[in-house]
Amino acid sequence: MEKALIALAAALAIGLSALATAWAQSRIGSAGAGTIAEKPELTATVIIMLAIPETMVILGFVVAAMILYR
Amino acid sequence: MIVRMAKIEIAGPKELLLDVLALVQELGLFQVEPEPGGFVEAGVEAKVRPLVPDEQLVAERLFLENLGSGIAGVLAALPRSAVGTSPLDPQAALAVVAAAVGGHGAWCREQEERLAALRRERDELQRHAVIVEALDRLLAGVSPGEGVDCIGLVLREPAALERLRWLVANGTEGASELLTAVAADGTTVCLIVTVRERGARLRELLGAEQLPELELPAAFAGLPFPERIRRLRGRLAEAAAEMAAIEGALADFARTWGGAYLRAREWVENRLSLLRLTARVHETLMCFVVHGWMPAAGVPGLEGELAARFGGRVVLEEKALREQDLQRIPVALKNPPYFRPFELFSRMLPLPRYTSYDPTPFIGVFFPLFFGMILGDAGHGTVLLLASLAALRLWPGRPVVRDGARILLVSSLSAIVFGFVYGEFFGELGETLFGLRPLIVERRTAIVSMLWFSLAVGTVHVILGLFLGFLSAVRRHTGKEALFRLTTIAAILCLALLAVSLFHLFPRNLARPAVVALVALVPLLLATGGFIAPLEFLRTVGNILSYARIMAIGLASVLLASMANTLAGMTGDIVTGIIVAGLLHTVNLVLGVFSPTIQSLRLHYVEFFSKFLEHGGREFAPFKKSRTDREEESWKRH
Repeated sequence: MEKALIALAAALAIGLSALATAWAQSRIGSAGAGTIAEKPELTATVIIMLAIPETMVILGFVVAAMILYR
Repeated sequence: MIVRMAKIEIAGPKELLLDVLALVQELGLFQVEPEPGGFVEAGVEAKVRPLVPDEQLVAERLFLENLGSGIAGVLAALPRSAVGTSPLDPQAALAVVAAAVGGHGAWCREQEERLAALRRERDELQRHAVIVEALDRLLAGVSPGEGVDCIGLVLREPAALERLRWLVANGTEGASELLTAVAADGTTVCLIVTVRERGARLRELLGAEQLPELELPAAFAGLPFPERIRRLRGRLAEAAAEMAAIEGALADFARTWGGAYLRAREWVENRLSLLRLTARVHETLMCFVVHGWMPAAGVPGLEGELAARFGGRVVLEEKALREQDLQRIPVALKNPPYFRPFELFSRMLPLPRYTSYDPTPFIGVFFPLFFGMILGDAGHGTVLLLASLAALRLWPGRPVVRDGARILLVSSLSAIVFGFVYGEFFGELGETLFGLRPLIVERRTAIVSMLWFSLAVGTVHVILGLFLGFLSAVRRHTGKEALFRLTTIAAILCLALLAVSLFHLFPRNLARPAVVALVALVPLLLATGGFIAPLEFLRTVGNILSYARIMAIGLASVLLASMANTLAGMTGDIVTGIIVAGLLHTVNLVLGVFSPTIQSLRLHYVEFFSKFLEHGGREFAPFKKSRTDREEESWKRH
């Protein structure tokens, strides 16, 4: 039972943060597509901006790893 | 590296002004500053005023502006590919060009207008040509005769064909034939052949049914149908021949005169920019004074040239930099050959201030390192190494591709080194094939160790950023900010010590002194950073945790490689296995190029540079000549 709860906690830590990242990236992605259509020279900046919310899922992953391997 | 700049004042007799500016333009190392503030000593500002141009200067400027617009008009009409080079000295040939430009301009305009009219006519005729082709096929089957009338039609909808058949049959009482064909653009073309006396009545009927006879350009109205087609074709051929003749004449003209006009334009533009620059020059009762900036390394060269050409009549003085100058010193970046390709990444950022740092060397050192740590596969690294060498060989003339390939070359070498550190060659294939073992750590299993390693790298990187921010603050004499940076570094070190003690990496009894030190630093943080300091500190901690992506993305990459090998093994057939593994490794390789690049750049732009880099620098734009030889090459490429 304890193992199952640990696994669930780790899954929630990474799953919820992945959902949050996906939501943020969807917003940035659509805005970025509009930006690139108007100013193609900003492509690199948009790609970098798109990578920024990944911090959330990375932190979620760290927390999940700490839960599983503590 | 940010090039060290010198603050320069050049003064001399007014009659030498244009010669001095011409020398400055020729060397292309000097940026003229329009505002004298900060250059002129206190007490003498009233004696230095903006230069008032004399009558001769204004007349020359007006003449050259007129000449320049005339030359531009001629060049605009010429075909680029035909423009030749000219050995003529433009200054010597200027009188000839000035005399000829009016007549040449008028001739070129006339040719251009005629050409445009012919193109319009050709386009209109070509629109009919498709239909004419189809009608021609139909007419081939009709025997011409005195009493025969032909009516051409275009049906927008094929469904109207049945209605048309009925109309034709009734309108001519059967004395007609309806032929149809499909034109190249898909429209249905019809030809009605009837006796001449029934033609007029049939046209009326067709008009009432919104099926008018095919209309050709007005010039062909009133002609019998076969004659119309013949004339249309003839006119198309004539128009093409006329256009070819005009284009040939323009090409001949471009070969004879184009090079001379390009050279003349270069000379006129350079001379005009020099004359316009006089608006940024100042004067005293007897002298002109030019203020500006130039790389400190170039000062002795300019000084020597001025002495050699003007024999001590023109003086150059290097002024001392003041505190208020730091904000307006223009910024030029110059890096050693290894770092130069990495300017591709630093160009994505705004220019740093003169008092800040050039981000290029930092990217040049840490980017390949992070890339290698994330990809960390000797097999993938070797493929990327070969790809970068191929790109360098195939496209040596494209600066962006060349720089990108050089960056990939260094990064792939780093990936190979880390591949041996992790013992990875296309995942665990290296171990299976030739017993490759990890030199230090196996990423697939040592997840927590890799996490600690990534966070340690992040801590070092962020602390380096904070230390550079501290140095930058010291240079700007902002003591409070410098102290805040130092306090943050100390707090992070305490937090790191606390973390490693609590997780049993260091003796646990170090935790208490770490907590005490951290608590002691809080008032100092608040005093130096204000009430926002705790938030700033938390952001810095978040930045360090963000480096966990090095491990996370690397782990995803190695698991993908491992999965490719496992799936290949499960196929049970060597050929299918190779195809499956090849496809999956290719996908992993593509991800392995994009993901480490984006994540490494992000770690630099967001986590590292935010600690010390100050943007908002003014780009160094020296006054220099425009280059026609490059433009000639560009014209030839078109």
